[in-house]
Amino acid sequence: MDKNFLIIENISKSFGENKVLENINLNISKSEFFGLLGSSGSGKTTLLRILGGFEKPDTGRVILDGVDITNLEPFDRPLNYMFQSYALFPHLNVFNNLAFGIKEHYTQKEIEINVKNIAELLSIEKLLNRRIKQLSGGEQQRVALGRCLIKKPKLLLLDEPLAALDKKLRSKTQLELTTLQKKLKITFVFVTHDQEEAMSLSDRMAIMKNGLILECSSPEEIYENPKSLYTANFIGIANIIEIYKKDANFYSDDLGINFKLNKELKNTKTNILLRPEKIKIQSINNLKKSSFNSFYGEIIEKSYLGSFTRYEIKVNNKIISVLDQNFNSNSNYNFPKGEKVICSWESESIKILED
Amino acid sequence: MKNKSFEKYFVFTPYFWLVLFFLIPLAIIFKISISVSEWGMPPYQDIFLFDNGIKINTTFENYIYIFSDYYYIGSFVNSLILALISTFFCLFIGFPLAFYIATSNIRLRNILLVLVVIPFWSSFLLRVYAWKIILQNNGILNVILLNLGITSEPLQLLYNQYAVIMGIVYTYLPLMILPLYGYLNKFDLNLIEASKDLGLNRFKTFFKVILPLSVPGIIAGSLLVFIPVVGEFIIPEMLGGSDRLYYGKILWEEFFVNRNWPGASALAFSGIIILVLPIVIFQILYSRWSQKNEI
Repeated sequence: MDKNFLIIENISKSFGENKVLENINLNISKSEFFGLLGSSGSGKTTLLRILGGFEKPDTGRVILDGVDITNLEPFDRPLNYMFQSYALFPHLNVFNNLAFGIKEHYTQKEIEINVKNIAELLSIEKLLNRRIKQLSGGEQQRVALGRCLIKKPKLLLLDEPLAALDKKLRSKTQLELTTLQKKLKITFVFVTHDQEEAMSLSDRMAIMKNGLILECSSPEEIYENPKSLYTANFIGIANIIEIYKKDANFYSDDLGINFKLNKELKNTKTNILLRPEKIKIQSINNLKKSSFNSFYGEIIEKSYLGSFTRYEIKVNNKIISVLDQNFNSNSNYNFPKGEKVICSWESESIKILED
Repeated sequence: MKNKSFEKYFVFTPYFWLVLFFLIPLAIIFKISISVSEWGMPPYQDIFLFDNGIKINTTFENYIYIFSDYYYIGSFVNSLILALISTFFCLFIGFPLAFYIATSNIRLRNILLVLVVIPFWSSFLLRVYAWKIILQNNGILNVILLNLGITSEPLQLLYNQYAVIMGIVYTYLPLMILPLYGYLNKFDLNLIEASKDLGLNRFKTFFKVILPLSVPGIIAGSLLVFIPVVGEFIIPEMLGGSDRLYYGKILWEEFFVNRNWPGASALAFSGIIILVLPIVIFQILYSRWSQKNEI
């Protein structure tokens, strides 16, 4: 596998005074499904548009499959871009939208075969004579995808590919998109603001903030071991607790308890992350709290979410979120509001945040 | 609830407008056009005569007269050609301008739109007269050309059909730009990027995406220029020579110089029918077609 299929090198971009991207470096492998995740204004769409050739970077280079494409026009790049709005041509039917990019290079017969194949792949063969306005959102998304894939691009760029779909269709399309990508082995780079979408689609993903890449890794790695406070908060639910060295142990003023870590700490003071599903919640009457990694708290909020229940537990003045799985043998899953409970966790569940 | 019944009448306002200011005047013109002309005030006879019962006093002689004389048909054809050429140049110049305005940022866009509309704030007659001053033999343009040594003697820039076309294009350009702008303003720029992304260069993108999607705006702007230019009288009169006669000028002369009201009315009525009928038919066909194709 070519680890340096797409190289993004020192890319910077400003719009007037506004610095949108600062020294971005990324290496993306061949056939990788790569996500750029960030809130609005993070620069993720600008980076994607630079890859597509719609914006020119102020500095840096983009190298695709060994070729420097930084100064190529969009129509000279061996890649395609799927727009968030899909940008389908309203004056053409589905067939001609699909055939738009190959009309110049193929004969009529070849065009028909190619369109038929791509329509079968995306199961839209019954829609070929329809007008774009007669299509549902999901169908439009398929046509937009097909219009790109028919060109057999080396790289497909997708701007918020699922944002325009309703929730139910989104999870179905998510699965189809990953299956399709694995089948075709085309490199996909997509942009999203939705962390769930990024986690479920990406092989690897980059978290962007204010024109910088904070972290770049697999979704599991980013969720379990985030490096920064921002990432920890951005992905999933996070309990962030400040601890400092006190005697042999670590102590949190907020919770008023001791922490035991299984790692050495460089600083004397740091933020730690405790994911809500790592915390065990137990009834107070049959147990006594351990001297570390455990606290007494009171349930102040509870939301039953079907497969699990989310509790907000108050300890001193801090509120800690806990997710508890609702399996039948778990006699704990029905804590009422106001109940006093013991919360505890393993040392390895504590993740130290670097900044 | 009261408003509902009011709204019902409100809907008829455009029809009321159309009847009052288009159909009734048109009917009057038609009435005069089939009257018998005479010397007097008004210079035509009534169409109903009331001696010994009612006698209808009409004639189609005026129509036969104008259609049998090449003088009238030829001038109308001249005007159609002039309108066609002027509309083409307005479109040729106006489309890129409108597109540029529609795609520029909001501040620049407003400045440019004001610049397009500014000429309307001064008198039309003065603006045409200004061109006369610029183009005349000792006008600014000739002085510059002479001083630069491009020509040795003043060029005859005025009183020919080129001056007429230039004057018309200058005057009617805003009427082309504004409807085009209104249409292009809603243009989804992603479509242009999508076309380029799919491998079409700027030139092909223009012909495959931008132009087909601008057809309604082009039609609106072209009609807005074409129809009034056919009847245009002042610009050919001021900037044109005597070598070519135009419909508007003939009409004016027939009315005010020859005082042949029935003949002039026949000419005006024929012109309206010849112009409006194909346009109405075209509009009906086009709206059916675009409904079918859901553009």
